[in-house]
Amino acid sequence: MKGVIFVELIKMAEGAFGEDTVDMVIEKADLDNDGAFTAVGNYPCSELVKIVMAFSDHSGLSPEVLQRKFGHWMLGFFVDNYPEFFADKDSAFALLESVDQEIHVEVKKLYPDADLPRFDTNRPGPGRLEMVYSSANRLDAFCHGLIEACMERFEEEGDVVRAPHPTEQNAIAFDITLKK
Amino acid sequence: MMTDTTDDRVSRRRYDRECQARKEAEALLEQKSRALFKANDELSQNAARLEQAVQERTAELSLALERAEAASTARSRFIATMSHEIRTPLGGLLGMIDLLSMDEVDPGKQELLDYANTAGTGLSRIVNDVLDFSKMEAGVFLFEQENVDIRALIESIRILLATHEHGTNRRILARIDDSVPKLFLGDATRMRQIISNLVNNALRYSTDGPIIVRAGAKAHPDGVLLRVEVEDFGVGIAEENIDNLFKDFTQIANPLTAAAQGTGLGLAICKRIVLGMGGVISVDSRLNDGSTFWFEVPVQPVSNPDAQGSNGSKAAHGLPPEGIVGRRVLLAEDNLINQKLLLTYLDRMGLHVDLAENGRIALEKFAPGKYDLVLMDVAMPEMDGLEATRRIRDKWSDAQIPPMLALTAHVMDAVEEEAKLVGIDRILSKPIPYEDLKLAIEIEIAAASGKNAPTSAPVASVRPDAPEPTPETGTEARTFFDLMAPTAAESLLDIFGHDGLIDFAGKFITDSNSRIEQLLAAERSGDVKTVTDQAHSLKGAALALGFADLAEWARRIEHGETHLDKWTVAETAANFQARLDYLDKVLKN
Repeated sequence: MKGVIFVELIKMAEGAFGEDTVDMVIEKADLDNDGAFTAVGNYPCSELVKIVMAFSDHSGLSPEVLQRKFGHWMLGFFVDNYPEFFADKDSAFALLESVDQEIHVEVKKLYPDADLPRFDTNRPGPGRLEMVYSSANRLDAFCHGLIEACMERFEEEGDVVRAPHPTEQNAIAFDITLKK
Repeated sequence: MMTDTTDDRVSRRRYDRECQARKEAEALLEQKSRALFKANDELSQNAARLEQAVQERTAELSLALERAEAASTARSRFIATMSHEIRTPLGGLLGMIDLLSMDEVDPGKQELLDYANTAGTGLSRIVNDVLDFSKMEAGVFLFEQENVDIRALIESIRILLATHEHGTNRRILARIDDSVPKLFLGDATRMRQIISNLVNNALRYSTDGPIIVRAGAKAHPDGVLLRVEVEDFGVGIAEENIDNLFKDFTQIANPLTAAAQGTGLGLAICKRIVLGMGGVISVDSRLNDGSTFWFEVPVQPVSNPDAQGSNGSKAAHGLPPEGIVGRRVLLAEDNLINQKLLLTYLDRMGLHVDLAENGRIALEKFAPGKYDLVLMDVAMPEMDGLEATRRIRDKWSDAQIPPMLALTAHVMDAVEEEAKLVGIDRILSKPIPYEDLKLAIEIEIAAASGKNAPTSAPVASVRPDAPEPTPETGTEARTFFDLMAPTAAESLLDIFGHDGLIDFAGKFITDSNSRIEQLLAAERSGDVKTVTDQAHSLKGAALALGFADLAEWARRIEHGETHLDKWTVAETAANFQARLDYLDKVLKN
């Protein structure tokens, strides 16, 4: 997993809990590299899970809530740093559909070794999007947060129903319905 | 100490962490830099390899192209050579048969000669078919752009084929629509080839009923679309065979003849010619119900029919008939058979021939004013005809050089360009029939005399065989004797002496005048036998005195061949009379 995720997670935690708390929690989390993450590096996803669990222990917030918050944070990061991906999109669905088709294509150009999750999309009817997240790393809640933040970004409201995919393993189905 | 630190100071742990992250980032950067350098290096190596591969392929391709071009050139040369090698002996054979037939009186032998001639002509046709086909294969088949009078063309095919082996007792009808332009631009030879081929097939695949040749035209973006149809009422063609009809080397079994005839290339060649002209060829036919072969080609009508006079043999007919008898010809020919054939032909035309065995000898023999015409074979040892022509052109001015004709058994297109370049006035293709050769010589000589020396009277243009043209004011005896063939004059002078010969010549003129009067009278009353008899006598007498032109005209009347000069019997006889009058005047002066 790209280092930028770890750097941003820690940055978010620093904003929420303060530097000293973060130093302490990271020390307790028993990370392989003692939390010395760099945005250009690659780190195992299990380290991210360790950090999330450590902050959950510390704060009493569930990992689910933390991951979803982090999803919101990361969307803000993407908007600030990669505005070109948002420029020509007029809706949350259009952006979500472009993740696999456009954004990850560009990511692969810069980082051929990046191990990216897959996002298959499908519109079963008007105002509805099915998005299937397939990855060995189960950051379901993180994705959930990203989707919510994305709708907020386009000033849209909707329900996101999350369920394991009925047939595929390591896949989560998001069923998003826009509110009229 | 720690408690003294201000709030914006970072902790040691945080500092260590940042240092470690930076170190890691730097290591990563270095690693990526190396990878990038390596990738760059590989890229330039690949580029170099690619460039080399492109160079190698380019070299291979140009070598292959060179080889293909060489093969194509070799093929063209092979075809030209084969053409020469086959046509030369064939032409010799046909010519010899021709010569034998001219003199043969025994009907039995004449019949055999006719068979030989038919077989030879058939072979010649097949050889020409195969050569045409090879030329098309080799891509050296060129189309001429000349004025075509399709009415005259179809008429001549009609007449020719009606007298042909299959065509006797068959009616060939021509129906040319008024929509067909009087003249249009096209290749007359190829068009004749297609139409005669179709009519020939119609004759071969039908036993009775007429053959109808139709032509019509309709508007087309490139002028008009000419459509020619040849309809017969013969065996017809089953539908399943129609597709194969225009393919190479295929023939439809002919229920009318047991054996297959020809090469099966006729229609294939027609198709290629028509396609080459940008047209289509096809057939509408039902088994046992006759066939209509048709082709359509776009042609450009010639708006000014006067343009007709400017090309080819048509030009000759516009000029006053100019005698060629007594003219001097330099013949360059190495092949013994061709020598014999051409010498006999030229002799028959009443020409004085000087033979050169190759181009070098021809070059040595040639001098301005010495000859009225030069006939050059192209392929000769030591120096070929084209080279000899070039050197003659280099040495003397155009005004000093008589018409130069090239004779070739090569495929014409192969030498045509070069021949024109070295200054050949006309190329003749071997084997050349007697009449074609005569016509070509007549045209060239007529054109040359029209150009160089305006003649006072047509008959006066017969020049004595002397290096310098003798003025008309010379001694009368010399002028008269000079009009005779030199050998005849010599031997007659020997026998009669000077005065005796003048006396004899006077008798000849009186006697001939009386005979020609009788001949004309007989011609008017339709007494063919008297015409023939008188002509025969006139021929003998004229030959005895060495007046080859008179003898030739008499022979033509005798053999009913005056149409070959496009003259009637009366016109030929009138010419004969005019020449006698002229001789009389010269004699009495």
